[in-house]
Amino acid sequence: MSAEFEPNVVAFLCNWCSYAGADLAGTSRTHYPPNLNVIRVMCSGRVNPLFVVNALQQGADGVLVSGCHPGDCHYMEGNFYARRRFTLLRELLEYVGVEPGRFNMSWVSASEGAKWKDVVGEVTQKAKEAGPFKQFRRDKINW
Amino acid sequence: MVDVEKLKEIARETVSRDDVKYLIGWRQGTYGFRTAPHFVGTPEEADNLIFSPLCSHNLATYLTLVEKLPVPRGQDPDSRKVALLVKGCDSRAVVQQLIEQGIGRDSVFVIGCPCRGVVDLKKVEAKFPGMREKVSATWGNGTIIFNLPNGNVEVPRQEVLAGKCLTCRYPNPLLSDLNFGEEVAVWGSDDYADVKNLEAGSPQERWSFWEEKFASCMRCYSCRNVCPMCYCEDCVLDRLNPQWVMRSVNTAENTAFHLARAFHLAGRCIECGECERVCPVDIPIMKLNRKLSKEVREKYAFEPGLDPESKPLQASYRPDDKEDFIL
Amino acid sequence: MNNKPKIGVYVCHCGINIAKTVDVEAVTEFASRLPNVKVVRNYAYMCSDPGQLLIREDIEKEGLNRVVVASCSPRMHENTFRKTLAAAGLNPYYLEMANIREQCSWVHEDRDEATAKAKKLVYAAVVKARLLEPLYEKEVDVEPASLVIGGGIAGIQAALDIANAGFKVYLVEKTPSVGGRMSQLDKTFPTLDCSACILTPKMVDVANHPNIELLAYSRVEEISGYVGNFAVKVRKRARYVDVDKCTGCGICAQECRLAGRIPSEFDMNMGKRAAVYLPFPQAVPAKYTIDPERCLFLTRGKCGKSPKCADACASGAINFEQQDEIVEFKVGTVIVATGFDTFDPARKPEYGYSDYANVLTGLELERLVSASGPTGGAVVLGEGENAFVPKDIAFIKCVGSRDKSVGNEYCSRVCCMYTAKLAHLVQEKVPGANVRVYYMDVRAFGKGFEEFYDRVRREGIRYIRGNPSEIFKRGDKLVIKVEDTLAATPLEDEVDMVVLAVGLEPRKDAREIIDILRLSQSADRFYLEAHPKLAPVDTATDGVFLAGCAQGPKDIPDTVAQAKGAASSALVLLSSGKVKIQAQISFVNENTCRGCGYCVEICPYGAIDLVAVNRMGNPVQVARVNEALCKGCGACAAACFSGSVQQKSFMDRQILPQIAVLGVMK
Repeated sequence: MSAEFEPNVVAFLCNWCSYAGADLAGTSRTHYPPNLNVIRVMCSGRVNPLFVVNALQQGADGVLVSGCHPGDCHYMEGNFYARRRFTLLRELLEYVGVEPGRFNMSWVSASEGAKWKDVVGEVTQKAKEAGPFKQFRRDKINW
Repeated sequence: MVDVEKLKEIARETVSRDDVKYLIGWRQGTYGFRTAPHFVGTPEEADNLIFSPLCSHNLATYLTLVEKLPVPRGQDPDSRKVALLVKGCDSRAVVQQLIEQGIGRDSVFVIGCPCRGVVDLKKVEAKFPGMREKVSATWGNGTIIFNLPNGNVEVPRQEVLAGKCLTCRYPNPLLSDLNFGEEVAVWGSDDYADVKNLEAGSPQERWSFWEEKFASCMRCYSCRNVCPMCYCEDCVLDRLNPQWVMRSVNTAENTAFHLARAFHLAGRCIECGECERVCPVDIPIMKLNRKLSKEVREKYAFEPGLDPESKPLQASYRPDDKEDFIL
Repeated sequence: MNNKPKIGVYVCHCGINIAKTVDVEAVTEFASRLPNVKVVRNYAYMCSDPGQLLIREDIEKEGLNRVVVASCSPRMHENTFRKTLAAAGLNPYYLEMANIREQCSWVHEDRDEATAKAKKLVYAAVVKARLLEPLYEKEVDVEPASLVIGGGIAGIQAALDIANAGFKVYLVEKTPSVGGRMSQLDKTFPTLDCSACILTPKMVDVANHPNIELLAYSRVEEISGYVGNFAVKVRKRARYVDVDKCTGCGICAQECRLAGRIPSEFDMNMGKRAAVYLPFPQAVPAKYTIDPERCLFLTRGKCGKSPKCADACASGAINFEQQDEIVEFKVGTVIVATGFDTFDPARKPEYGYSDYANVLTGLELERLVSASGPTGGAVVLGEGENAFVPKDIAFIKCVGSRDKSVGNEYCSRVCCMYTAKLAHLVQEKVPGANVRVYYMDVRAFGKGFEEFYDRVRREGIRYIRGNPSEIFKRGDKLVIKVEDTLAATPLEDEVDMVVLAVGLEPRKDAREIIDILRLSQSADRFYLEAHPKLAPVDTATDGVFLAGCAQGPKDIPDTVAQAKGAASSALVLLSSGKVKIQAQISFVNENTCRGCGYCVEICPYGAIDLVAVNRMGNPVQVARVNEALCKGCGACAAACFSGSVQQKSFMDRQILPQIAVLGVMK
């Protein structure tokens, strides 16, 4: 193998905590791998679990959903609903044979730029270890 | 013993009521061990009703499946009740539909039929292949008695009952306006052995198991259409914009379909097993659904379809829900 | 209008902040080859005036109808560029930003990697921009009136401020008089000014203010609606006294057969009142009330030959036929100022509050030292022959505060200082008194607090660090078992009176308002503010504000300050007369909605209702979003199985193409 496998990670971040935390990581000039790309939503509660299935289908090797810590949700309860949904989705994905490291969830607050850096590092590393996602990836992808 | 004559009597009385549109029950099918849903609109039509170990259909599906035809201007929609025969598992579908407001409590008249288990047609047809003559069956003592053309055959129930019945914990209807027959003792228990078995394998092993199953799916959508909880008139998986699942039938799209279908039933599946029963290519769909049922029970001590006043699992939370995997 | 997307992409250098790590030219060239992209430019500072002018000119000259700005975080400049679009006549929601600074150039070192990622982010923004739809911020009118719940000092102050600004205020108080806890206090710390002297003028102002409608002896029963448009239903309880006729002369109370036989709530049950009563002499409104649970006529239907109060009242104000009255009105804003209850020390049985008459709470001592209290201000315990003046007096602090065993982890903030104040007052009133204070810590954080604490110690009040473990009786004395933790010596202190500095707790009926207004509680069970730092008077419900101890323990100046803050927040809405409603809210496709109600359950703002609609002659239920209540979190959209609920600007069909770009592009 000529080059090390570089995974593609798609991340869904809530606007108020995790996206702000990721911004802070930038403002603080911390450095982390470039494999993870962010889609901003207003709340982790907005993330439709099918987004995750869809991301894996559409080429992602890993997926992250990140929101406010429990009790800190800008909309009070969104992350609690997200937590239930993604706890179940993760079980389902692993049950059909998706490697455990592919789907991750994190709580990153607006002040946790350092934690965001760690999360990106960890999620990227896990996806790297899991290798290219093949199980139910779509052959031809249009948008 | 099931007193079918009594059932017919109840049905005749029920459909004679002014506030009942029709009654949905079961009748003998066209051949072999088959049965079919039976819509009783007049007292005479009640003559064909049956209730036996062959009555596997969950008729609650029809409560939401029924097409609401346009009502001509100046006419009132028919607001009479639909009367429905339910087994224990079927009644949970009715309860869950009530929770999810698919039906109004006053739009349905539920006749509960305590159930001692229904057969898995595939198991029965394997045991008695090529049966063309109509066959009826009754419950024996721990057995199913088939009235074959050349005499009765008694088979231990473990050999022919559907998988869902072997682990059934709710044989008696949880909701009914009227009960037919005697309450049945619970004899099943469920340790999710089938699910745990599969969980024990490696991701690669699990994927090769499912890859083979999903690859064989031809996306007939029977599993979805028969499901009493899949009641959306416009299924998100049929949409073109956005198109969550492509039309092409291949492992990737089929898997996405099955994951989405299973996830949409998380905390909602009442384990009537209809999806698996109707699958023409024998995908073990309940193995997917039951995985989620297991997680929902273990993590949230929740079972759907038990209490009409309860909140749906996916529309509720506890601040201290488990979150051991979250970074 | 031809709405085929014509996208302009603007790549910002941000000086060298972006350009140093991202090859801006390469990104520009890449973007020019993307579908539907008509114009691509890069510029040193897109947010500068010349930068924004570039965008405006292109919109006007090139007919752009979508704009992608690749620069810093949208949290930084999304509003800036939305205004740019609006200034050029384009709907501001036709903007999409690619964050190539905070989440790209600043966090990556390798120029090739950062450039590749920037391209990807720009591409994802372009595919989303293609699918953006115009959104409009709606405005609703604000009903020029306010509801204030609670007539303590917080509610009084808020009501006065709003009324003085010229707006109608409905002040609802559940007891017969406004005044609240402050009216029960004798002096206030640390200045020792007379509580009633500074409070009663404000109470009178409330009663006389032309803009304030005082609804005392009333309860809020129902509030519906949303910011600017709340419909309120209040139950005015029957006083059995016609307030228009009552002159407040008090003859009824003198004549009442139960006069002097009913414990007075205002005097912490230490004084006595009649069944028809004024809670305290300065009560506002100065109208009598018949206690329906005590009055002989109301409870038994018989009071001698005829009720003496009615016979005695010269103006004929007594009316036993009176019924509760429901008052309904509309307001634009609501202020919750429902105050606190004091901790019930019976929950700490080791202190013997339930067993010994000479164990008092701070609020009880407050009534005792008050000139208007049951003893006329004399510190006397016991009655008749048993009456005595306590000499050895001990205070115990942090009773029911900072105590996990009773579920109150928080500090009540006022006990340190009211203890110092009461200790001072007692020592002043009882010559030769020997006063000591048992404490864990002394928190004298406010203006003048430390000085006051210092003063009372100089006056001879002893502070002993130790948390008493038990109080028991020995002869006539109470014995406090405690360890002096500074001297590391166990003590048994014999005293005549123990005063428990009880902490503050949420009102026992706090739940009522939570249910009515959908408020949340923080871990301490007080009402939760929208943000602990930056929105301390707001709640998660727009147009509903908090004031005073309902939000958490605080002293009078903090309460007044918060009340003024709440009033000013309410006035922002009332005086502008309009409130803008978010544009990026949820909506329902009623043709495909199945009416399952998941979104209704999930919405934290109660913004979605199931409504009955007619679908080709058939009655069906569908979800409908109340646009004024929706805050645009999108949780409903993720919960909807059929995709019928969507969030504007974050629709499934706008997000899926982004996923595809980010997944596929390497």
